[in-house]
Amino acid sequence: MKKIKIIFAALLVLMFYSAKTDAQSQPLQFQLNYNYSFPTGNFKNDLVNENSPRGFMGSLMYPFSPNWSAGLAYGFQDYYQKYPRTLYHLTKTQDISAVLTNSLQTTPIMVKAKFSPSTNSFLKPYLSLAAGANLVEYKQYYGEFGSSQSNFGFRVQGGLGLLVPFKKTSTSGINIGATYDYAPYHHIGLTKLNSVNVQGGIQVQLR
Amino acid sequence: MKKIAQALLVVVGCTWLFTSCTKDPVSNLTTEESRIYITDHDSTVNFSNYNTYSISDSIAVIDNGNSKHESSAVGSAYIAAVKKYMNQAGFTLVSKSDHPDLGVDVTHIINTSTGVITYGDYWDNYGGYWDPYYWGYPDYSYYVPYGYSIYQVKEGALSIDILDLKNASENNNINMIWTGLIRGSGILDAGVADSQVKALFDQSPYLKK
Repeated sequence: MKKIKIIFAALLVLMFYSAKTDAQSQPLQFQLNYNYSFPTGNFKNDLVNENSPRGFMGSLMYPFSPNWSAGLAYGFQDYYQKYPRTLYHLTKTQDISAVLTNSLQTTPIMVKAKFSPSTNSFLKPYLSLAAGANLVEYKQYYGEFGSSQSNFGFRVQGGLGLLVPFKKTSTSGINIGATYDYAPYHHIGLTKLNSVNVQGGIQVQLR
Repeated sequence: MKKIAQALLVVVGCTWLFTSCTKDPVSNLTTEESRIYITDHDSTVNFSNYNTYSISDSIAVIDNGNSKHESSAVGSAYIAAVKKYMNQAGFTLVSKSDHPDLGVDVTHIINTSTGVITYGDYWDNYGGYWDPYYWGYPDYSYYVPYGYSIYQVKEGALSIDILDLKNASENNNINMIWTGLIRGSGILDAGVADSQVKALFDQSPYLKK
């Protein structure tokens, strides 16, 4: 985890130093994507094994150079799983028969950096790295009786994607991409809320 | 600046849209799925040591701490269901005057006024709802050797309690040795009483002669 933070900080420093002064007149890039999420590992096995089609990721990025941009990323994802009626042994003598529902919402707010290696080609592939806070709201229900808890955690996201510009010289276009999100979460017996995400949306310039 | 404000508005709009599209755990449940069945028992008790039981012909209704005994179609349906599954478990129904080994109480708990009561609170006042005199032990108290650890009551519930009358003199208490609790939507319906009581007995395989 510490290594990831150091790498991310170094990347940001490198990006700022390599920025060109003439790029300061560049417009901000606003990206809004529909997000489909696949829980993985501990998250999938112990909490929610259904994929989530309910989410989005957005970012507001400043292009420091033709290759580099940085800014803020924000999103929301809703995970839900209803398990069939099962008998749970709560203590040595106490049993509860219930339909168990897990409901979990994540709201990441991250600093994001993006690198586009190809500036001349029409299609613009890119790599991205983001890190920041992850607000997690978790609810568990036995039948219609539930409890909830909210926690803040850390989240780091690595991604790759492709921007298909509307015009050859434009930075506005259609975006498709995928990310892997690493999110430690040491509550309710879990250790991580990691996920693989696929995204599609648009990028527009804000002048 | 105006464009940035517009972008932020879009993000706020998306947040609102997706948060309102989240799947609500309660509204995605059927009536049957909304119900929970909790059982607890005294692990030191061997139920095969008991032969007979008796049950009151009315249920106690505890409404925000005030109790009364009530005869109703719903109550009668639950009492009939308890008799059915106690008999199937091998116990014999006798009248109260025949010194039954077990006493069975059915209680409807309502709490709609303030806050939350725990089942500890409910049991603390059990003697007020079910006078030990009714079971022929006027100077005795009730004793519950176990308790629901995770559970709180906010609205309505239906509780079935089995009491050890056989060893009351030896224990100097009327020990509660099994409890079944039903909660959820639509449980106060005579038409579902049988299936609700069956669920409690099904998850208590040790409760048999």
